Amino acid sequence: MNELLVTCTGLTKYYGQKPALTGVNLELGRGRIVGLLGPNGSGKTTFIKILCGLLQPTDGAILIDGQPAGPYTKSVISYLPDRMYFADWMKATDLFDLFADFYADFDRARAMSMCASLGVTPSDRLKSMSKGTKEKVQLVLVMARKAQLYLLDEPIAGVDPAARDFILNTILTNYNEDGTVLISTHLISDIEKVLDEAIFLKDGQIVLHDTADNIRERENKSVDALFREVFRAQNMEGGAF
Amino acid sequence: MFGKLLKYDFRSMLKQFAFIWPAALVLALVNRFTVNSFVTSASGLRQTVSGVAMLVYVGIMIAMFVVTIIFVIQRFFRGLLGDEGYLMHTLPVSPWQLIGSKLLCAVVTTLLSIVVAILSILLIMPISWINILDMFKGFSYLFSHWNMELTHSVLFLLEFLLLICLGMANGYLHLYLSMAIGHLFNRNRVAMSVVAYIAINALVGILIGILGNMGLRNLSIPYDLINFGNAPVAAMHLFFWISILIALAGDAVYFFCTEYILRKRLNLE
Repeated sequence: MNELLVTCTGLTKYYGQKPALTGVNLELGRGRIVGLLGPNGSGKTTFIKILCGLLQPTDGAILIDGQPAGPYTKSVISYLPDRMYFADWMKATDLFDLFADFYADFDRARAMSMCASLGVTPSDRLKSMSKGTKEKVQLVLVMARKAQLYLLDEPIAGVDPAARDFILNTILTNYNEDGTVLISTHLISDIEKVLDEAIFLKDGQIVLHDTADNIRERENKSVDALFREVFRAQNMEGGAF
Repeated sequence: MFGKLLKYDFRSMLKQFAFIWPAALVLALVNRFTVNSFVTSASGLRQTVSGVAMLVYVGIMIAMFVVTIIFVIQRFFRGLLGDEGYLMHTLPVSPWQLIGSKLLCAVVTTLLSIVVAILSILLIMPISWINILDMFKGFSYLFSHWNMELTHSVLFLLEFLLLICLGMANGYLHLYLSMAIGHLFNRNRVAMSVVAYIAINALVGILIGILGNMGLRNLSIPYDLINFGNAPVAAMHLFFWISILIALAGDAVYFFCTEYILRKRLNLE
């Protein structure tokens, strides 16, 4: 087992001529809850997709547990995408079967008990479920694994504030304590209290990576307040006012 | 892991065809009893019933093959290049396993559809088992007349089946590569897939033309070897194996191009 869980060096991604990430260097340890924070279009989703192997970087290297993206890294990463990814005709229990087959770290019993506490009936067809329920099923799939790296792409963006706490609570009570959770969001105030570290992503570059405690101590303000300051400045630089 | 992928691909196939395969066979059975009355019966009603039954049967046969092709396309386009791709491409498997599993399932599905079609025709035709037995006797008479041993005829059958499967795989891999190229575009993916399909078709046509022109003219060896006069059995085997190798080479090119795109250039929406 490698000391560092994630190592990125000079990570760069272009979509055609358009840069999405430019020269990202990052090291992440184990057992942390990390916020990947940035406004829309700052490269959060691109970065997460490269981490989980859905995208190949244009340049630079990425190692997860010392390995480049491949079947091994995919077996230790639990990824919650920003969309539904399952076929409608399945039941939630079919998906549990699939996850149990492919991921050795999937805990079926825990998935069932999470369903019970989230109010999901796993024997229902996905087709008959509401959008919110489907999102819960997906969250159950991802959090019922004892993964080393959880990549959660905007897990709370689409739900109402009451459900946010519920979802955050599910994440916090279920993640593998030796693993690291990377949560991307622009809703910082909702997750600030659980963050160990924060990464600020701006125009495809990391402008800040520190522990939440350090940020609060040094800047004498909350991560949320600092975030608003950093990204308001960006608007004024870029704006025509 | 490959076996597990196959399990889920075959499960979705069974789900898709659970109705249409049995329905085709049941309709064939119905036609077995109604088909005669179309000619022999004097009753207009019985003639109508028999006509409608035949029409429905033909319709379901056509539908079965259309559904087969659509199924193969959808399993790849939606399953690997659409939203479901987010799940499939984050499973701890390699892209070649994803494509291989889809391809194997596609070929088996098509073979099963063909088997259902043949069975249904046998069901409609009022053939008795004695007739079928006679048919086999006829075959064995033919083979014995050609001085062909049974092992050779079995081998020919296997070579022929292998060639059919590889040819089928060729058609499907052509579709897969076209869709993989189409998905590289951020807009009009379906239209670009169709364009890619036509372009590949043209490219392969040109390639075969060039190879045929310059290559085969100088290759006198196969012509000497495929000398049906001296050793027809050996020549037939050689002919089959050369065809199999050519089909295999085409399959390999399609497969590795598709694999490269999914491994290095994946571009999910």
